[in-house]
Amino acid sequence: MRRVLILALLVGLVATTWASFGNASGSKARSSSSVTSVTISNEQGTTWTCGFNPFNPSVQPFSFGPVYEELVFVNGLKSGATTNWLASGHAWSNHNKTLTFTIRSGVKWSDGKAFTAADVLYTFKLLKAHPALDLNAAWSVLKSVSQKGNKVVFNFKSSAVPYFYYIGGQTPIVPKHIWSSIKNPVTSKDSSPVGTGPYKMGNCSPQVIKYTKNPNYWQKGLPKIETVYYPAFTSNDPANQQLASGKAQWGSQFIPNIKAYYLSKSPDHHIWFPPLVNVSIFINLKDPILSNVAVRKAMAYAIDRSRVSKIGEYGYEPPSNQTGIVTPTFSSWLDQNLAKKVTYNPAKAVAILTAAGFKKSGGVFHTPSGKALSFRIINIGGYSDWVASVQIIQSQLKAVGIKITAENLSSTTYDADVYNGKYQLAYDGNESGGPAPYYELRQLLYSKNSAPIGKAASSNWERYSNPATDALIDQYGATTNAATQQAIIRKLEAVMVNFVPVIPITEGVDWYQYNTKDITGWVTQNDPYAKPAAYEVPDWGVMLLHLKPKG
Amino acid sequence: MRFVLRRLAFFLVTLWAAITTNFLIPRLMPGNAALSMMARYKGHVNPQALHALEIAFGVNTHQSLPREYFTYLGNVARGRFGISLTFFPDAVSREVLQALPWTLGLVGVTTVLAFVLGTLIGLVTAWRRGGLLDGLLPPIFVITSAFPYFWLALLSIWLFAIKLGWLPESGGYDVVTTVDWSWAFVGDVLRHSILPAFTILVTSIGGWILTMRNNTISVLTEDYVRMARAKGLKPWRIMWTYAGRNAILPNLTGFAMSLGFVVSGAILVEFVFNYPGVGWMFLQSVENQDYALMQALFLMIILAVLAAILAADAATAMLDPRTRDRT
Repeated sequence: MRRVLILALLVGLVATTWASFGNASGSKARSSSSVTSVTISNEQGTTWTCGFNPFNPSVQPFSFGPVYEELVFVNGLKSGATTNWLASGHAWSNHNKTLTFTIRSGVKWSDGKAFTAADVLYTFKLLKAHPALDLNAAWSVLKSVSQKGNKVVFNFKSSAVPYFYYIGGQTPIVPKHIWSSIKNPVTSKDSSPVGTGPYKMGNCSPQVIKYTKNPNYWQKGLPKIETVYYPAFTSNDPANQQLASGKAQWGSQFIPNIKAYYLSKSPDHHIWFPPLVNVSIFINLKDPILSNVAVRKAMAYAIDRSRVSKIGEYGYEPPSNQTGIVTPTFSSWLDQNLAKKVTYNPAKAVAILTAAGFKKSGGVFHTPSGKALSFRIINIGGYSDWVASVQIIQSQLKAVGIKITAENLSSTTYDADVYNGKYQLAYDGNESGGPAPYYELRQLLYSKNSAPIGKAASSNWERYSNPATDALIDQYGATTNAATQQAIIRKLEAVMVNFVPVIPITEGVDWYQYNTKDITGWVTQNDPYAKPAAYEVPDWGVMLLHLKPKG
Repeated sequence: MRFVLRRLAFFLVTLWAAITTNFLIPRLMPGNAALSMMARYKGHVNPQALHALEIAFGVNTHQSLPREYFTYLGNVARGRFGISLTFFPDAVSREVLQALPWTLGLVGVTTVLAFVLGTLIGLVTAWRRGGLLDGLLPPIFVITSAFPYFWLALLSIWLFAIKLGWLPESGGYDVVTTVDWSWAFVGDVLRHSILPAFTILVTSIGGWILTMRNNTISVLTEDYVRMARAKGLKPWRIMWTYAGRNAILPNLTGFAMSLGFVVSGAILVEFVFNYPGVGWMFLQSVENQDYALMQALFLMIILAVLAAILAADAATAMLDPRTRDRT
C-alpha cells in the first residue's frame, strides 16, 4: 500500500517537472515572436472549423480581408470614401445604370498565377449560378456582367448607386482556375484558400488560425507583420484575460468596467468605440394602440437616452438621436434642427398624450375606449447591457404613465418573434448598416425589406410602409450627386422624427482595444482609415496592412 | 447463458427506445432551423441566398415524419450523420471526432482518477475510523463537492493563473505552439490540462469517498472480516482483499455510468477554461437548432452509457456470484 502511494507521488512529481519544461520553451517562443506577430482577441463562441469559404457567412470573416480581397475599399467611417484596391479605377455611365471597373495589373494569386479581369467576371458569374453564395443580393439589381479586356462592366436593371458598396467593397474575388473545378461551391470547405491578399493561411486547428505573410503581395513592402494569430474563444472571460495580460494585442471585445480591467493594466492599452448603427426600440406599427403616432411620439420624448447610455451601456455607446443618424461618424448628414426637435422632455410626452385624448387613471394612461397603455417589450436575455438599458427605459416610461413589461428571451425565440412581427415592442440593434446613413435608413424604412406579420422580414421589422418614402429611397439609389443625396437623407430624417417608426436609443459601436507596446499603425479616432473591429470585413485586412513593429 | 441473453435483449430494446426519442425530441423543440440560420447570419445574408442555403442544408424539406424517421434510422445504421449547420460545411462526424479526444482525455482521465483516489481514501478512512485522516479528508472533500463548479474554477484561475502565474488560464494548448506530436506540444497540452483537471477532481471526489466509506463500514461488520482478523492476517491485507473488494462492488455500476457520461463533456469546464471539448459543441447545437449535430452527440452518449451499463452488469455478475441467476 505504502509502495503504491510512494510510486504515485513520484509519477506526479515527474509529470509536473516535465510539464514545466514545456513551460520554459513556450514562454521563450512568446517573447521572441511578439514583435513580428499580432494576436487577435475576438470571442466568437465557437471553435474554428478551418474552413475558409468566403461565401460562407459564418467563416467569411476569417478569409475575406487578409486572404481574399475586394475591388475597392469603402471606408465606413468616412461616409464611404473609396480607395482603389483590386480595381485601379471605376466609373458610372448610362444614367448610373452601368458601372465599369478597370482591373489592376501586376497582381498575382498566392499560388503564383496571374490575377486578371477574367477572375472578377468569373466570381460574379459564380454568384449568379449559385444564389446561396450571393450574400448581398447583387443579382437582384444586376442585369449582366461582361468583360472588355482589362475592364469589367456591370449593367444594372435600374440605377442602383448604393450597390457599389456591395459589389465593389463587399464581394471577395476568387480565382477562376481553382473555383471552376469545385463541384459544389456552396458546400466547399476551402481549407487552403488561394487569394490575392497580404496573408496566406499558414496553419489551422480548432483552437487557433495562424496566418503567414504572402511574399508576392501586390502592394510592395507590405505587410510588415509576419504572422497573425487568431485564437478561438468559447466565452468572453479568457478572451478578455488575454487582452489584459498583453498576450493578445488587438481586441474586439465587450469588456465591462474597462478602466479597471484593461486600461489600468498598462499605459500602452488603448480603446476606441466608433459608433456605427443604432440600437432602437422597434414598434410594431400594426398594433392597434401603437399605430397611433401620439403614443410613439410620447415614448420618444419620455426617454432620457444619455442616462440609458451611461448606466445601461457603461457610457460606451453614445446616446442616439431620433433622426437615426449616427454621430459623430455621420455628423455631416445630420439635420441639426430636426435632431433638436425630439429631446428628453417628460412634460411634453404627457402633453402629447393628453392632447390626443388619452386619460390617466391609476398612474397609467388609457385610450378613450379604456385600454391601458401597457405593452410587452422583448429583449435578448443574454445581452446583459440591453437588459439593463430596457430596465432604465421602463422606469422612465412609467414616470409619464406608460407601462412596459420586459420579456428577456433566448436569442432563438427572440429572433423568431422579431422577424415574424410577433411582438409589440422590441429592443434591437441587429441591423448591419453600411458606409453611409442611407443603408441603415433603407433597412429601417424600405417597405420591400419588410413582410406581413407571420412571415419573416429581413429588416424593417416594424412593418413601416409608405410609397412616398419608398420613392425617396429609390431616388437616392439613382444618383451620385452629393447634394441630392443630402437632401433625400434629410427628408428621411424628417420621416424618423415626425412619424417615429422606431425610437433609436443608443448608438451601437465597434468594440476595439489595441496595445501600442510593440506595434504601431493602429486605427485611432484621429485616423479612422478603416473600421477597427477584427470582425469587420474586409476592413481588418486593411488594418493588418497598416500595422508595423515599433522602432 | 440465459442471463446474458436477457441482458442483451434488454440492451437492444433500450437502444431502440433511446434512438427513437433522440429523433423525436429535437423536432418537438420550438423554433425552426431556417429562422435560426437567418438570425446567425443577420445582416449578411439576403432572403434569396437564405432560401438557397436552406435547400443546401436540407432544412424544411417537408418530408413526412415517418419517412424522415426511417431515413434517420438508415443513416444511423450506416454511420452517416450528415453536415453540421453550426460548423458548415464540415461533416458532423469530423467535428465530433475532433473534439472527442479532448473530452475523453480531460474528463475521462479525471473521472478515473477521481474514482481511484476517492475509493482509496474512502477505504482507508473507513478502516481507520475516527483517526486523523478520517476526521479531515471526508469532510473537506464533501464540502468542496458542494461548491458550484464554475466558482471554484474561476477562483483557481484567479489564484493560480493570474495572481501566481504558475499555470495558463485557458485553452487546450498555447496559441503559438505548433500542433504536432513533439514533446513541446504534449507538454503544453499537459500544462493546460492541470488546472481544469484539478478543479474537476476536487469537486467530484467527495461523492466517491463518501459512498466507499459507507460501503466499507457496513462490510467491516461482516463475519468473514472477523474471521480474517481471528486468523491473524495483516491489517492491510484484510482491508485490501477482504473488505475493499466487497465494498467496491456497489460502486462499480456508478463508476461505469459516470464513464458513460464522460462523452457528454463537461460543459462548464469547457466554458470557463475555453477547452475545445464536446460539451460546448452540445450547447451550440441546441442553440443553432443543428439537428444533425445534436442527434449525433445524443446518440454517442446513449451508446456510451448503455454500453457502460452492460459492461457494469457483466462485471458485477462476474465478480459477485450473488447477483447471478438462482438456479
